[in-house]
Amino acid sequence: MLPHDAGHSSQKVAEVQAESEAIFRSIGDGAIATDEFGHITRINPMAQRILGLKPKEALGQWFPRILPIMREDKTPLALIERPIVQMFLTGKSVTAKVRYILKDGSSVPVSITVSPIILNGRPVGAIEVFRDITEEQEIDRMKSEFISLASHQLRTPLSTIKTYTHMLADGYFGPLAAPQTAPLQTVITAANTMNELISVLLNIARIESGSIAISTSEYDAAQLVTDVIKQLQITADARGVRLRFIRPAAPANLCTDSLIAKEILANLISNAIKYTPTLGTVTIRVRDLQHSVRIAVHDTGIGIPRQVHDKIFAKFFRAPNAVREETVGTGLGLYVVQGLVTTLHGKIWFRSAEDAGSTFYVSLPKSSVSPGRTADL
Amino acid sequence: MARILIVEDDRDLNAAYQIILNRAGHTVASALNGEQALRTAKDFQPDLILLDLLMPVMGGLAFLQAYDLDEHTDVKVVIFTNMENSPEVTQAYNLGVTRCIIKSWTAPQNLMRVVDDVLQSH
Repeated sequence: MLPHDAGHSSQKVAEVQAESEAIFRSIGDGAIATDEFGHITRINPMAQRILGLKPKEALGQWFPRILPIMREDKTPLALIERPIVQMFLTGKSVTAKVRYILKDGSSVPVSITVSPIILNGRPVGAIEVFRDITEEQEIDRMKSEFISLASHQLRTPLSTIKTYTHMLADGYFGPLAAPQTAPLQTVITAANTMNELISVLLNIARIESGSIAISTSEYDAAQLVTDVIKQLQITADARGVRLRFIRPAAPANLCTDSLIAKEILANLISNAIKYTPTLGTVTIRVRDLQHSVRIAVHDTGIGIPRQVHDKIFAKFFRAPNAVREETVGTGLGLYVVQGLVTTLHGKIWFRSAEDAGSTFYVSLPKSSVSPGRTADL
Repeated sequence: MARILIVEDDRDLNAAYQIILNRAGHTVASALNGEQALRTAKDFQPDLILLDLLMPVMGGLAFLQAYDLDEHTDVKVVIFTNMENSPEVTQAYNLGVTRCIIKSWTAPQNLMRVVDDVLQSH
């Protein structure tokens, strides 16, 4: 017979165990616990429901075998990249969005967090908590579809306004009387501002809702820069600013989303043109580094005062000298650029001083598919 | 000078592009949707197609699938759309288009420049 206090403490242990089991079962998200080798020790009712797994099918099984996973975009994920394996390797919690592959071959998108179970300072297993995000993804898809459609609808009348005002200004419908030229130019400028606003607002909506669709392929960074320079040459010519591109000796290939990359470059280069006085130069340089491609946009413009360096990527911020120079502007351009760079897993930074020009650097990883990789600086 | 087919459902814009490209010396035909464009392209034999994406009856992507650029290797297609960074644009590139430009950013001068660039890359 056990002494009185030993019996009391074993009853206490049983109570604590029952309580922890009850807590585990009551977690509103799916939860699976494993031992230190990744064999499943517990699976809660929500996990059973999401995965269609019975406890007897799961318990004692090696987690990666009973529940294979793939990336969110349905491409395969190597075992070494699997969050639970990463967690065991690093000892740190890992959060990710993946798809679990179910018994019947279908898959379910989930947001998971896997953490170590530490007992007496020693890791004794893992707990993976997950949430079915099918509905969230559907809402994201609808949001992104709405944004895309709204962008189209807002721009359709604007395209007509812009095309016809330019045609009037260019004399397609007969010569203009001298006093008519300036007002027409005002209409064109206003239409351009409106266009920029639509772009910026749509980009912000996309960035903030995380609904930017990324489609990656291999591109030569020099070619992307060339395409953007072609787009902006007319603007640069009109302002009397020279665009100079220093090409790398060999192609600087990277796997990225060309449309987003070009938007980043177009924003930086047009900013450089906008804040560079006539006869100034904007120089674009591409450097091929080990894991990334670095693009530098250097201008001989008004520069950014040192005291506002930390605010330059903030939403709606415009440097005081920029406001003096150019009254039109939203203070959203660099905020958007930073969001787009982050979307491509890249980095952005700058060097500048007032009246001494600015250089903006963007570093994009050569392979933007791997989210863990950081760009070289 | 080239033979250019404009496929654009907005009649005002369609008319404007015809004026601009005609003035630049090109021979121009026009269609208001993909289905009309398929019929027109047969006889007109364009060197370049200026193609909108969102159109009634048959949109730009459906047109590209039906027209099949692999069958018309000497024809260049420039997408002219207001859908920026959209999956449709990516799909259009996958179907073999040469360039994609945003209508609301494009003044007549830019339009002519793009057309010349694409034609020179022949």
